[in-house]
Amino acid sequence: MNRRRVIGWAVAGIALGLMSVASAEEPPIKIGMSMPQTGGLAGGGKASLLGIEIWRDDINAKGGLLGRKVELVVYDDKSSASETPALYAKLLDVDKVDLLFAPYATVPTAPIMPLVKQRGMLLMGNFSFQVNSKVHHDMWFNNAPWGPADSWATGFLTLGQKAGGKTVAILSADQEFAQNIATTARDVAKKLNLQVVFDQAYPPSTAEFSSIIRAVNAAKPDIVFVASYPPDSAGILRAVNEIGVGDNVKILGGAMVGLQFGAVMENMGSLLNGVVNFNTWLPEPSMYFDGTKAFFEKYSKRAVQAKVDPLGYYLAPYGYAMGQMIEEAVNATKSLDQKTLAKYLRENTHKTIVGPITFAEDGEWKESATLEAQFRGVKDKNMDQFRSAGKQVILFPDRLKTGDLITPFEDARNK
Amino acid sequence: MQRSSIVFWTGALLFLAVVFAMTQLLRNEYPFFAGYVILQFVVLSVAWTILGGYAGYVNFGTNAFFGVGVYTAVLLVQAYKAPLGVQIAAAAVVGSLLGLGVGLLTLRMRGIFFSIATIALAIVIETTVTNWRFVGGAAGIQLQRPPVTAPFDSYVKMLFFVQALLVVLAVAITRFIQNSRIGRGLHALRDDELAAECTGVPTLRLKLLACVISGALISAGGAPAAMYVQYANPDSAFNLNYSVSVLAMSLIGGTSHWIGPILGAVLLGTTQQFLTVTISSEINVLVLGVMLVVFVVAAPKGIIGLFGKSFRSGGRA
Repeated sequence: MNRRRVIGWAVAGIALGLMSVASAEEPPIKIGMSMPQTGGLAGGGKASLLGIEIWRDDINAKGGLLGRKVELVVYDDKSSASETPALYAKLLDVDKVDLLFAPYATVPTAPIMPLVKQRGMLLMGNFSFQVNSKVHHDMWFNNAPWGPADSWATGFLTLGQKAGGKTVAILSADQEFAQNIATTARDVAKKLNLQVVFDQAYPPSTAEFSSIIRAVNAAKPDIVFVASYPPDSAGILRAVNEIGVGDNVKILGGAMVGLQFGAVMENMGSLLNGVVNFNTWLPEPSMYFDGTKAFFEKYSKRAVQAKVDPLGYYLAPYGYAMGQMIEEAVNATKSLDQKTLAKYLRENTHKTIVGPITFAEDGEWKESATLEAQFRGVKDKNMDQFRSAGKQVILFPDRLKTGDLITPFEDARNK
Repeated sequence: MQRSSIVFWTGALLFLAVVFAMTQLLRNEYPFFAGYVILQFVVLSVAWTILGGYAGYVNFGTNAFFGVGVYTAVLLVQAYKAPLGVQIAAAAVVGSLLGLGVGLLTLRMRGIFFSIATIALAIVIETTVTNWRFVGGAAGIQLQRPPVTAPFDSYVKMLFFVQALLVVLAVAITRFIQNSRIGRGLHALRDDELAAECTGVPTLRLKLLACVISGALISAGGAPAAMYVQYANPDSAFNLNYSVSVLAMSLIGGTSHWIGPILGAVLLGTTQQFLTVTISSEINVLVLGVMLVVFVVAAPKGIIGLFGKSFRSGGRA
C-alpha cells in the first residue's frame, strides 16, 4: 500500500469517527405514537398528525429539545383498538422512544392505557373521552378541552335553560362517543331539573331521519340535544330543514360530530344556520393566543399538500399544543424523566396556541374549554366564509363568549 | 399410531416447547404482541377451513363468531371475574351453539346466499351487543387484567402461550376431521351435494357438525382477545376485517388441506404485522389486496396447490 493511499484511508477513518462521535452525542429525541391514517378515524388522525408535525418542524428549527432534534415515530393503527397494543409495545421495546403521544380518539387509546401505566410512561392524550376514568394513570394528560365529563351537555343545556327551556329531547347515535355524551346529558338534565320528554338512540347506519324528527316534534321539547356522527349529522339537519321542529324549540344541536370539518360545513351550507354545536377552536377574536395565527398560516399551506381538512380547527391546533406542553415541560425541567415531566405538567399552567391549559387530578383539563357556538349567516358552497369571524358565534363558556344565543331555533335558522 | 401422526404430534410438541421457551427467555414484549395476532389468525383460518374449505360453504360471518367469543369473555369477567380458561371454554360452548343455530337456519342455502346470510348474522349479533349496556353497549368497555399466573412474568406472554395451545387444538381437530369419514363426507358434499346425498352421505348432519366445530373454534380463538386488548367495543370485536382477512389467508394458503390455512395465516399475518410497522399507510392495505389477486390468479388452489398431489387432493397427512 503506497503512502498516499494510507493517508487517504486515515483521513476517511478520522472523518467517519468524527461523524459517529457527533451522532452519538446528539441522538434525536424520539416521540412515538400510532395515528389512524386509514379507516373511519383517518380524516381526523391525519389532521392531528399534521399539527404535531408542524410543531416538530418548529421546534427543530429552534434547535430541538435539550439541544437534540425531535423525531416522530408514527404507525398507522387503522382506527382499530386491536392494533394499538402491539404498536405501542413496538414503540417501547423496539424503537425505544423517549416519549409517547396517544393516537387520536378514544377507541384506539383505551387499550394502551393499562400498558402505559404498567410501564410507568407519561402519555399525552389526543382527543379521547374519559379513557383514564377506570385506569387512573397519574401520568396521563389529555390535550382535548373537554374538562369534566359532563361539560359538553352542561354548556348546551344551560344555554337552553337560560333561553327558557324546561323540557329536553335527547337523540343519539348508537355508537361509543354519542352514547357516552347522551349518558352525561341525562345526568345534567336531571341536575338542572329539565324534564326529558324524548330519549332515543338510532342505529349508526340510519340514513333517513324524517320519522325520527317527526317523533321529536310530537314530544314538543324546548331543547333538542343531538349526539351524532358525520353522516347522521347531515341527515338530521336535512330532515330538520324539510320538516321543521316547531316554534317551541329554543335550541338544537349540542354534540353533532362532522359539523367541525370544512368539507362537511361547505356541503351543508345554509342548513347549518341556527344550529348550536360543540367545537374546540373557532376563528373568533377570543380564540387567538401567542402563535395561533402563525400556526394556521402554516397549516393552511401544508393541508393542501397533505390532503387533510383545509380548515383544521378541530384537531390540528391541539396536536401542536400537545407538542408545546412537552416542549415547555422538557425545557423547564431539563429532563426526559417521565415522573419529572408528569409532575411539571400536573403542577403548572401551560401556555399554548389554544390558550392556557391546567390539568386536574385525572389528567383532563381543570376547566372545560369545549365551545358551544351558533352558526349564523352561512351561505351555500363556500368554504372560505368559515375562516372569518361571525359565522360561528361562541356562546359558551362565558370567558370565551363572542355573542348571545338567537332563539327560538326557527328564527335563528333565518339569520 | 401412524407415522404421519407421530410426525404431527412431535411437531406440535416442539412448537409448544419453542413458544414456551420464548416466553421464558425473551424480555422484549413486542414479539409476543405481534405473535399473538398471527397465532390468533392461524386458529381462525384453520377453523374457518372446516366449513369454508372442506364443505365449500363460504362463511363471511367469522367476525360474528369472533365477536361472540370476545363478548362471552367480557360477560364472564364482568359478572364473575372468571379466569381465562373458563372464558375460553365458555366461548367455545357459546360458539358451538351459535354454529348449530346458524347451521339449522342457513345450511339449506348454498353459495352466495349462504355467505350473505352469515353476514346478516354478524349484523344481528353486533346490534344486540351494541344495545346491551352490561357489556358496555355502544360505548365499549375497559377491562382490567388479573395478576399473571406463574411461570409467566407478563400477561401477554401467557396469552401468547394460550393462543399457541389453541393453535395446536384447532389444527389437531381439523387434521382429524380431514383424515376421518367426516372429512371425506364433507369433500363429497363440496364436490356435488346431491350426488353425495344419493350415495348415502348424511349431508345435513355433516354440515351441522362442521358449523358447530368451526364456530366453537373461532369463538374460542376470539375469547383471549378481550384480555389482549383490555377493551372491547362492538365495532372492533365484530369488525368485518376479521372475515376478510381469514378468507384471504385460507384462500392464499389453500383450503383442501389443514396446512394451507396455517401457511396463509402465517404469511399474510406476518406481512400485515411487518407492513404496519414499515410502510404504515394506505399502501399496507393495497399490498394485501395485490397479494390476494396475485395468488388467486397464479395459484388458484393456494400455496399448497403449488406442491405435492397429496396436499391438492386433501389426502391423508
